[in-house]
Formats: sequence, structure tokens, C-alpha cells
Amino acid sequence: MPVMNSPYNGRQPNEFKILTELEGVPNSRSLEVYKKYGGYAALEKVLKGGMSPDDVINLVKASGLRGRGGAGFPTGMKWGFVPKAPGEKYLITNFDEGEPGTYKDRYIAELNAHMLIEGKLIGAYAIGASKSYIYLRGEFYDEIAWCEKAIKEAYDAGYLGDNVMGTGFKHHMDVYIGAGAYICGEETGLISSLEGKKGQPKLKPPFPAVKGYLNKPTIVNNVETLAAVPWIIRNGPEAYKKFGTEKSAGTKLFNISGPVVRPGCYELPLGYPLKRFIYEDCGGLIGGKKLKAVIPGGASAPVLTADEIENITMDYEAFASAGTMLGSGAVIVIPEDVSMVHVLENLMHFFKDESCGQCTPCREGTGWLLKMSRDIVNGDGVPGDAEKIADVAGKMMGRTICTFSDAAAGPARSIPQKFAHEFVEFYKTKKNAVQAHG
Amino acid sequence: METKVMASFFSSALNEKIKSFIGRYETKRSSILPVLHAVQDENDWISQEAVQALESEHGLSVVDVNEVLSFYTMYRKNPPKPYRLEVCGSISCWLHGADKTIAAAKAHIAEGEKNGNPVPFECHKVECLGVCGYAPVALVNKDRHLNVTPELAIKLISEYSKKELPAAAKKCASDLAARSAHQ
Repeated sequence: MPVMNSPYNGRQPNEFKILTELEGVPNSRSLEVYKKYGGYAALEKVLKGGMSPDDVINLVKASGLRGRGGAGFPTGMKWGFVPKAPGEKYLITNFDEGEPGTYKDRYIAELNAHMLIEGKLIGAYAIGASKSYIYLRGEFYDEIAWCEKAIKEAYDAGYLGDNVMGTGFKHHMDVYIGAGAYICGEETGLISSLEGKKGQPKLKPPFPAVKGYLNKPTIVNNVETLAAVPWIIRNGPEAYKKFGTEKSAGTKLFNISGPVVRPGCYELPLGYPLKRFIYEDCGGLIGGKKLKAVIPGGASAPVLTADEIENITMDYEAFASAGTMLGSGAVIVIPEDVSMVHVLENLMHFFKDESCGQCTPCREGTGWLLKMSRDIVNGDGVPGDAEKIADVAGKMMGRTICTFSDAAAGPARSIPQKFAHEFVEFYKTKKNAVQAHG
Repeated sequence: METKVMASFFSSALNEKIKSFIGRYETKRSSILPVLHAVQDENDWISQEAVQALESEHGLSVVDVNEVLSFYTMYRKNPPKPYRLEVCGSISCWLHGADKTIAAAKAHIAEGEKNGNPVPFECHKVECLGVCGYAPVALVNKDRHLNVTPELAIKLISEYSKKELPAAAKKCASDLAARSAHQ
């Protein structure tokens, strides 16, 4: 168990409010309410309080904030990679939320998109960007409207434009709307899309911080990451580090799905026990069903069995040491009466559909993984198929431009390995049984 | 002498929108995704005639536009029914019975066709819509609906079917009628 910087014992989720402070506040999306709760004070502190861009970067580094989109890369360090030389630089927010199980970024926009805009302005100042985009998935019609409205309000109030808050800092912001491609959530795929192309990822290096959008230095940050920045600036890195664990500082939005009594988006300190989250905060499984498995960090995260979650905590290190990942904080709960073979088929359908088709191991591999898992579901499987799926998945890892292929391989390796007995049951069904008996 | 003015493929309002998108980003190419959204919002789908017109009237390369059009799934390459019920079938929605919702909606639509009382609907299974806690999630055109059980899906189909058709659907139908009259 990691050492919690601030004990959660006896505390309720509503006591950990950094991103969700406006939860339940009437008219929470308005600029007026945001300002009443300290909104844009952080921007003022940065621009008028004599903070240099490096001061901002160092402060964010000191807070321990890590990327909340899935990779968990230290945010301040990422900002520090942008060359200091003058020239066009861009800050792009990844709001292409589409990892199955994930619905946290939209929750931030539902509460108040100004959190994101203020965080973006501070990030833009730190890296020297005069232009930024919010890249939203096309299906997020409400969220697009909320972001557009907040951007307009920020322009009207002088937080955006050629002379932000009269300080001479210039920053313009716009939304950009995707059109239905999960791969655009991969940062270089997103950049391709923003350039008006197929959303195919680009080979790294060069990293976007050096050569990104239109070959200019570009930082791509997740919504939740940027939305935490104003609070950190206002309250200081030490206050942020009081939440979470030594290596996973702060709070995180955990979004739970599957048949639980109280689904939703919960802000909790990193390092919070997963079992307590599912059973106490979310009320356990509907109808008191028994838990079979948990996908802890979105569809790409390898699955954990009910036994494996017994003592696990929700932070980057604990999940990594259990062979899975925190990812986007999307906890997907699978009850006892759902077959893991069906779960595998469903997940493989997603990855087959969403592979961008650029790299052969991924394009072909995801197709074969779906076909093989579907054959087993349809009663056409033979002993050894589960092992073959895990084997094919193993060969898709580390061989492609981006990590999508590895993400597809995660569940395709972990499910056959951890639930081999369920595959055996399928081999005995339908066609095989008929054929065996002539 | 009279100069012959070729009629634009797009409405004047849409032409203005297209021009504003072309001038909005760092490069003209970046405007392709938003331009295609705007064309689809007005015409309900994106025909190859529209793609040709984007090149001849607005200078957007057919090759570049078709690259985008073929890659992204939200763009409709064929004339659709007036309403699209898009049900998420990814893991969280599937765990809450999305397959049953899709099957019920499809059966309801097929039944209408069979009885000579068709509903202006088509139903598709789509991948994650990003609201996984309130599964199954579905869109009817641009409206999001949560906890869409089979019963709710059928209710939604009935309710939307009673409404006046969306403007884009009407435009799509009249464009198609004009086209077949031409042939």
C-alpha cells in the first residue's frame, strides 16, 4: 500500500474537491460563478504577479501533476521540453474523449469550461504559445457548445485576445471539432487531424514539443490536466501534494461504469483503494451481484480479477505493478454473470473498428483478434485458440508507430491468460460438440 | 454582354460558412473537417458532387477532401434517413444491454417497413460515445439520450417520427428528387 500524503480514512469523496468544486452549484457554467469561486485569480497571479514562464513550469513540476489522459507523463516536464527560441508555438487540449469507460473530461466542461480555459492560458504563457486549440470529438455537441460559449465569454472579459488582462500577453483560442475517430486521441494523430488530414499518428521522435502542429513546437495536454493547473497556481504545489501519494500527487477524476449502484464521475485522491471505491462510494454491484473482473483504466488497460483488486490502490504505481494501468481513470466493472470471452470479443470489435490502418501489425492484428474471439463465441473455437490470441497480441506490441496496437494487445493478452477456464467452456459448445458427435 | 453566372452548388449561407472556415485556421487544409461538418449539417450528407464543388468553388483539393471524408466515420457518404439512432455498443454500454436496445430498434424499424408504415429512422451501432456511466447511451441526430433501454429506443423513434422533419432531411429529399428528375 502506498503512503498516502493525507489520510483519506473516514473522509468522504466530497472532501477532495479541486476539479469538482462547482458540483451542485447553480448556474455553475457561467463566468460569474467561476469568478466567485476564485476563477482567473491564478491567471492574474501569473501575469500580474511577476511570475516568469519558468516559474510557472517549475511550480507545476513541483506539484507533481502528471498527465491525466492516460500516459501519466509529468506535465511541468513536458512543458519544459518546448524550445525557448522565439517563434510560433501551440498548446492543444485533447478533448477527444473516447476511451471506452471514460467520461470525465466532458464532466469538467459540464461543470465549467473556464477551468480548462484558465489552465490553458497559464500553460500557453509557460510555453510561449500565442494560439491554442481545444480539439473536441465531433459527437460532443453539448460540450462543444459549452466550450465555445466559455471562449466567447473569456474574449469578452479580456482574458483572451491581443492584450490579455492588459498585460501585453497575447493569446487566442479556438475549438476544433473531430469527426469520429478514436485514434485522434493519440497526440500525434490529433495533430494530423488538426492539420486537416487523416488522424494517423506520426513517428516519434521528433516529439510534438519540438515538431508538432505544422512542424511547430506543440504541447498536447488532456482536459483534466489543464483544469487542475489554476488550483495548483492559486494554492501552491505543497497544497496539491497533500492529496495523493508520493509519486502520484493530487486528485483524479475516476469515472465508473458497468452495473454499479451509483455510477458517475468521482474526484478522489490518487492512491484511494479501488475496492472501497466500488463498494462504498459507488454502492457495489446492482442487485448485490458478485464481482468477476475490473478493467481499471479504460478499455486499453489489462483486466484485473476480483482477487487482484482486493488490496490495490488507484494510482499510477500500484496499477503498473499489477501489470495494468491507471489510464484515464475509467473503472469498468464486470459482474459474475458476464462471460469474459464475450467481453474480449466486444473489446476487440472496438479496436478493430478504431485501428487507423497505418501499421500492418495493428491493422491486421486487430482484425485477426476480433475474428478469433468471435469464432470462439460462435462455437467455432478449438483448444489452443485462447493461447493463440494471447500469442498474436504479444506480437503486436512495440512494433507500431503509436501505442494503439499495444492497447489492443492489453486485454487480448490478459483475458485469455486470466480466464482460460472460460474459453475451455466455449470450446465444448455448439458446433464443436455437434461435430465431435458426428 | 451578359456574363453567365454559374449557380453555386451550395446555398449562399453555406458558402459564407465555408469561406469563414477557410480563413479561420493557420492553413486552408485545416478547414476541411469543419467545412465537411457544415456541408453535412445543411445537406444531411456529403455527395461527390459536393466534394467536386468544394474544389471548383473553394479551391479545396478533391484528393485532400476525400482523404478526410473516407477516414472519419461521422461523415455520411450516402443519403441517410432523416433520423439516425446511433447506439453505443462499446463495453460499458454493452454491459448494460446495448445489444438488446439495438436489436429492438432495428426490429421496430423493419416492422414499420413491412407493414407499409415506415418510420423515418435508421439505427446503427457505434463505438464509445463518452458518457459511459449512463449506459446505454445513444444519439438521435445531435440529441444525446441516456439509459436507452429497448423500450426507450422505441419511444424515441415514435416521438421523433411525429415531429416535423429536420431541415437537412427535407433538403436531402428535395435534392434527391431534383436529381432523379434530371436523369
